[in-house]
Amino acid sequence: MALFVQVLVSGILLGGLYALMALGLALVWGVLNIVNLSHGALIMLGAYVTYFLVTGAHFDPFAALPIAAAVLFAIGYAIQRGILNLVIRGPMFNTLLITFGIEVVLMYLAQLWFSADYRTINPGYAGASYAVGGITIPFVQLIAFAIAIGLTAAMWLFLLHSRTGRGIRAAAQNLVAARLYGVSPKRIYALTFGLGAALAGVAGGLYGTVSQINPYIGGALTAKSFVIAIIGGLDNPLWVIVGGLFLGVIESLTALFIGPTYRDVASFGILVLILIVRPSGLLGRTA
Amino acid sequence: MKKIVRGVVLCVIVALLAALPWMGNTVLVQFGINLLLLATLAQGWNIIGGYTGYPSFGNSVFYGLGAYGVAIAMVQYHLPFWAGMLIGLGLGVAFAGLLGLAVLRLKGHYFAICTLGLALVMTAIVSNLEIAGSNIGLVLPLHTGEALFYELALGLLVLTTLTIFWLSRSRFGVGLIAIRENEEGAAVLGVNTTLYKILAFMLSAAFTALAGGIYAYYITFIDPAGVFDVVLNVKMIIMAVFGGPGSVLGPVIGAFVLSATSEVLATKVTSIASMFFGVVIVVAVVFMPRGIIDLVKNLRQAGWRYFIGNVRAHRL
Repeated sequence: MALFVQVLVSGILLGGLYALMALGLALVWGVLNIVNLSHGALIMLGAYVTYFLVTGAHFDPFAALPIAAAVLFAIGYAIQRGILNLVIRGPMFNTLLITFGIEVVLMYLAQLWFSADYRTINPGYAGASYAVGGITIPFVQLIAFAIAIGLTAAMWLFLLHSRTGRGIRAAAQNLVAARLYGVSPKRIYALTFGLGAALAGVAGGLYGTVSQINPYIGGALTAKSFVIAIIGGLDNPLWVIVGGLFLGVIESLTALFIGPTYRDVASFGILVLILIVRPSGLLGRTA
Repeated sequence: MKKIVRGVVLCVIVALLAALPWMGNTVLVQFGINLLLLATLAQGWNIIGGYTGYPSFGNSVFYGLGAYGVAIAMVQYHLPFWAGMLIGLGLGVAFAGLLGLAVLRLKGHYFAICTLGLALVMTAIVSNLEIAGSNIGLVLPLHTGEALFYELALGLLVLTTLTIFWLSRSRFGVGLIAIRENEEGAAVLGVNTTLYKILAFMLSAAFTALAGGIYAYYITFIDPAGVFDVVLNVKMIIMAVFGGPGSVLGPVIGAFVLSATSEVLATKVTSIASMFFGVVIVVAVVFMPRGIIDLVKNLRQAGWRYFIGNVRAHRL
């Protein structure tokens, strides 16, 4: 029983991080109708920015996160403004291809600059943990979880209540009408993509504190983000948290009861099942 | 007259390609096998992605099934290569049929992602199957000589291309194009869209599985990560889109141009070559989103304005 609860807790902690990873993808998808295949590569870059701030400038990993977010925001803004806005009215399939191309370029740039070595971001307190009634809660994972949930909630408030957030939602619903009300599509699209990238940057920094990083982690992280976005639907950031927690728990339980090698069968199997049963996502609106 | 000339030129090219193994140079033959298989994959994708308009990211599943069909038949049951090819073909086509029923109802991004998810599920499942050698893979019996595989791959590519040529002028093919352009409209006009889509998916799977079978015996070692590779799936899409999706020869031209370029680059600047591939995709999608075929058709009239026009048409 204790083992079961422990696995459940680990799954939930992992799920919070998953939710943050998926949030940027879901935001860009929902607003720009672009499935950003380079999302995982942006997470990877965020992890490296954090890593170099920690090892090179002796930052605390969590203090480095805002800088990682800022750097990734700039990269994301530039990618949308300089490349994606050139093809965004083309066939949906072309945006898939072009974001894949960007992913390839980012991956090999990272390999060229940072080498293919595995790296980890290790704060001094990496081994610290709380013990609550026989259950161990690693300190770093708990902080990562809190930041992930906090950011997701902040994102929700931002979209709901700020002027820019309303502009983003207006652009998602009806671009022509939004334009009439003074929303500049070019700017709002670049801003949204920048925000998505910034979220990916933070997620990457947190990922680096709990897991190993190398230039090739992007693909799998993009795929997981998809799964969560599909489970949660694209309408509301709070559902993304539910999607992330769900996936984290399912993965942990699968690893416990069936075997660690079946983890990916479970997560991607769920994706396929959900799409077949509910083509617009488990919790999303019906198409 | 023009058509006859074109047909003769194509026959001469195929004959020259067929003669390649007898002109020596093993390296060229090995490169040729990979290129011909990739071109077949691009053509296979062309049927479902180019003609029917369903962007499958799951074609690597059929490739993997074809490869494992051959590998399991030869290693576990000591059957001849041909029997393995038939088994792989059967697996691929049956899987496409069953799956098509479920996933071909999805549209756009959702279809693309669902098929991508399937590719990942299959990789994970096969990694756990003992009969398939789990995640270690299977070692196939050694074969004699590469010429046979080269000719097989060439034959398969010609067969695939001829099928697409037939498709492009048949009722069936017109039905697929109608589905791509306007599915509801096609249904109203009496096209049995479900049946057409599933048949297209199965046809696409058949050629892809055969290519996988040839690859497995040729390379003599397969593992799940290698033959269910999602990157391979993206490669076939890029080659088809780069050449011209929904055309008879576009995907073949795309495969030849891109393979040759990346091969030349790989010998000159190894680490940059892969990155260049990404740059090519980005530039191609921005400036020539309908592929080389469309470029050649329009470049003479429009000149450099062709590229500007493409950007104008799709930018925000």
